[in-house]
Amino acid sequence: MIAGQSRGRGLLWDAFTVLVILAVLSPIAVLIFSAFNDGRAFRFPPQAYSLRWFEAAFASAEYRSSLASSTLIGMIAAALSVVIGTMAALPLARGAVRRRRAIELLLLAPLTLPLIVWSIALLQIYAFLGINGSLGGLVLAHATITLPYTVRIMIAAFAGIDPHLDAAARSLGAPPFTAFRRVTLPIVLPGLLTSAAFSFLVSFNDVIVSTFIAGSRWITFPVRLYSQLRSQGVDPITLAIGAMIVGAILLAVLVGELISKRWKRTRA
Amino acid sequence: MKRPDPAVLLLTPALLLTGVVFLAPFGLLVATGFWSQPKGSLIVERSFTLDNYVRIAADLYYWRGLGRTLGLSAATTILCLLIGFPVAQWLVRRARRTRALVTALILVPLVCGALLPTLGLVNILGTLGVLNGTLKALGLIDRSIPFLGNDSGILIGLVQSFLPLMILPLATVLDRLPVSLEEAAMSLGATRPKVWRRVILPLAAPGMLAGALLVFCAALTSFVTPQILGQGKVATFATIAYQQAALVLDWPFASALAVVMLALIGAAGLLVALGRRALLAAERAP
Repeated sequence: MIAGQSRGRGLLWDAFTVLVILAVLSPIAVLIFSAFNDGRAFRFPPQAYSLRWFEAAFASAEYRSSLASSTLIGMIAAALSVVIGTMAALPLARGAVRRRRAIELLLLAPLTLPLIVWSIALLQIYAFLGINGSLGGLVLAHATITLPYTVRIMIAAFAGIDPHLDAAARSLGAPPFTAFRRVTLPIVLPGLLTSAAFSFLVSFNDVIVSTFIAGSRWITFPVRLYSQLRSQGVDPITLAIGAMIVGAILLAVLVGELISKRWKRTRA
Repeated sequence: MKRPDPAVLLLTPALLLTGVVFLAPFGLLVATGFWSQPKGSLIVERSFTLDNYVRIAADLYYWRGLGRTLGLSAATTILCLLIGFPVAQWLVRRARRTRALVTALILVPLVCGALLPTLGLVNILGTLGVLNGTLKALGLIDRSIPFLGNDSGILIGLVQSFLPLMILPLATVLDRLPVSLEEAAMSLGATRPKVWRRVILPLAAPGMLAGALLVFCAALTSFVTPQILGQGKVATFATIAYQQAALVLDWPFASALAVVMLALIGAAGLLVALGRRALLAAERAP
């Protein structure tokens, strides 16, 4: 009797969890599904399916240029963030710094303080400097908000290294930078790639900061999408582009996962 | 001349970026909140005035926006707790593989950013959307329920996007709480509600507080979800601030609104810190 009751409870619990996970995933699933809807306006169930919005997406110069902007800004911001973040993570991971806790807390500030508040301030400073919506301004802002991710990932990556390794290389006569390049760098390569991918993603997806400091020359895809959604509602072309972006992100995550697994296996 | 410490050199760019580009603007915000901009003009008068704050305090519109924002954020937090707790508890009882897979699935919408899931939600919640279509097909309703353009759609969207922020810290805390503890309490004759109240809840409370703070602050400052799912008809504090900053271009006033938001978040953080201290005190007491 009691066993039956607890099994019933367990099943109910399983069902509830599955339902919640499905609900969490449903917006992404519906985004992809509705990109194949033939009509201009989405209705469920759709009356016909087609690929025409994907074709329209490839033909649209406007969206293509904003995707190019997003990609370029994401790449530069990620590169900056990885270089600066890795530099900072090195002494922090080795514990060779005074007030380490305070510095780490400070470097995580962009994760803990609200970006919308920061954006309202940044907008005014950028306007004062005349760099609103400029490439440099956007890259600087994006590098700033991606930095905490890089620092965190790289601290973890460096923490896994035996510090004697670097010392051994140096005692064998390698100059500090060579020791870093030939010994430390290959070991933290997965961390570097992860933080670059993460930074790129955060920058590519950012809508909060970019909408505030947007100008007319450098418009990122999320900014274009947001203003489109706000003024005219859903454009089916953006559904097709969104579906492709989601597909690309999931594919990248999957490939990264597989590569890191293989990496671990070969090193083990 | 002394050679500079290499650690300091390595840290300098990151500290500059975070300190000057990120933190300093918050200080400026507090200052500009006390400046003013005459109506219809775009020239900021840089002299101290409380006008912006008086304007917020005197207008019922802002109070209503504030009330709605706090209500939505509180409701989001409570719903995330109610839904997230059983899921987190389920999660920590699974094998490592299942756990990793489910955690990854939960993180998928977060990885896709704020906008793309919202775009999907519009097609779920619309009058001809998936939810209304399914309910109609099941014969549960005749006419579409309007989810967009009111609080219900926004609440669904907020819970949807911030649920992972609750599940993950909860799972971390619950993971440290062995299932055997629960079984031991039960075998000693404690009833299920009693085990809950006396064993699980006190031990899970820090994770609940951490998750609640994350979700509450995220909901409070979110402006994409309320703007898009509210179709511009629902004014929350963040959407009002966005309008003032990006459309009306009254930056001193937008700054004041942002300062109010910051103060609310500070208050929420303080409340959670006090709650944590009370928990610790209760734990130490016999």
